Amino acid sequence: MHIPDGFLDLSICAVMYAVAAIFWIFAFRKTKKVLGDKQIPLMATLTAMFFAAQMMNYPIIGGTTAHLLGGPILAITLGPYAGLISMTIILLIQAVFFGDGGITTFGANVWNMGVVGVFVPYLVFLLVVKAAGNRRGMLAGAFLGALVGDVLAAVSAGLELGLSTLSFPYSVSIAVTAMAIHHFFIGVAEGTVTAIIIGVLLKARPDLLQLPRVAPSWLGESPVVAVKAGGR
Amino acid sequence: MGENKSMIIIGIISSIIFVAVGCALLSLSAETLDEIAEHFGAEEFHLWSPPMPDYEILGLERNVVANIAVGVIFTLVVLGVTFAVGKYLRSSKTEA
Repeated sequence: MHIPDGFLDLSICAVMYAVAAIFWIFAFRKTKKVLGDKQIPLMATLTAMFFAAQMMNYPIIGGTTAHLLGGPILAITLGPYAGLISMTIILLIQAVFFGDGGITTFGANVWNMGVVGVFVPYLVFLLVVKAAGNRRGMLAGAFLGALVGDVLAAVSAGLELGLSTLSFPYSVSIAVTAMAIHHFFIGVAEGTVTAIIIGVLLKARPDLLQLPRVAPSWLGESPVVAVKAGGR
Repeated sequence: MGENKSMIIIGIISSIIFVAVGCALLSLSAETLDEIAEHFGAEEFHLWSPPMPDYEILGLERNVVANIAVGVIFTLVVLGVTFAVGKYLRSSKTEA
């Protein structure tokens, strides 16, 4: 999903940089207030793990491949603002050192994978956990959040590509449809991995799921803290 | 502190496994976006030349060991950078 230089019109790139910048400002402000000593090693470890995990390309459909994004796990464990900072670090290193994602398109890539791919999973996760209120709800929320987040991030990338009429020679409908269909399968894989990791953390380190999350205050207290490890 | 150390060690070992599997077995990348772009004739360009395009050292392309080394080194770089950013943000809170 990393959009390289040349695929987006410069006007779209500028808008996406501006939108991403707004989220960066809020993310840094909130993270400064909430981030605790215990979250820093968790944040660093998960960010490094998902940088590494993105190097594994598994086959999906039509001869294409995909890799995990990691946004959902980062969002659920650390909160979406800290997740955005983690994804920004990953995307920046990938773009600068490896040419994986462009420099002009960096804002768009951060929006797609660092904002949509992080905030949407978190919101879906919260809604499902609030509705279910138990361990299964957490696993279902993790799966659905990752699935919906991946598909919407792909739809967002498709929209940016489709609207870049000067750079990319096909319509919004083609770009969005192709990206959404393929990323549905990626989302299923991301959702499965996310639910498995949350399940393992619930058993092995439930304390890591009870840390304060760096999230917008209007979302309120995460209900995860009320879910006891091993509960049903 | 011990729990954090264990978590970091498990994270690093998992990351090395991801990198090794990624470089040795799952390195073929044919992402949807690239396939569609190729089909429609869209061309990417690099605003600047990345030092290791496609995660490979120039002159050592398709060398699995070199690719694993790059992956592991940069995984540790990401770990360090994120730690530094986290510590900076934490210290900003203390000063505020």
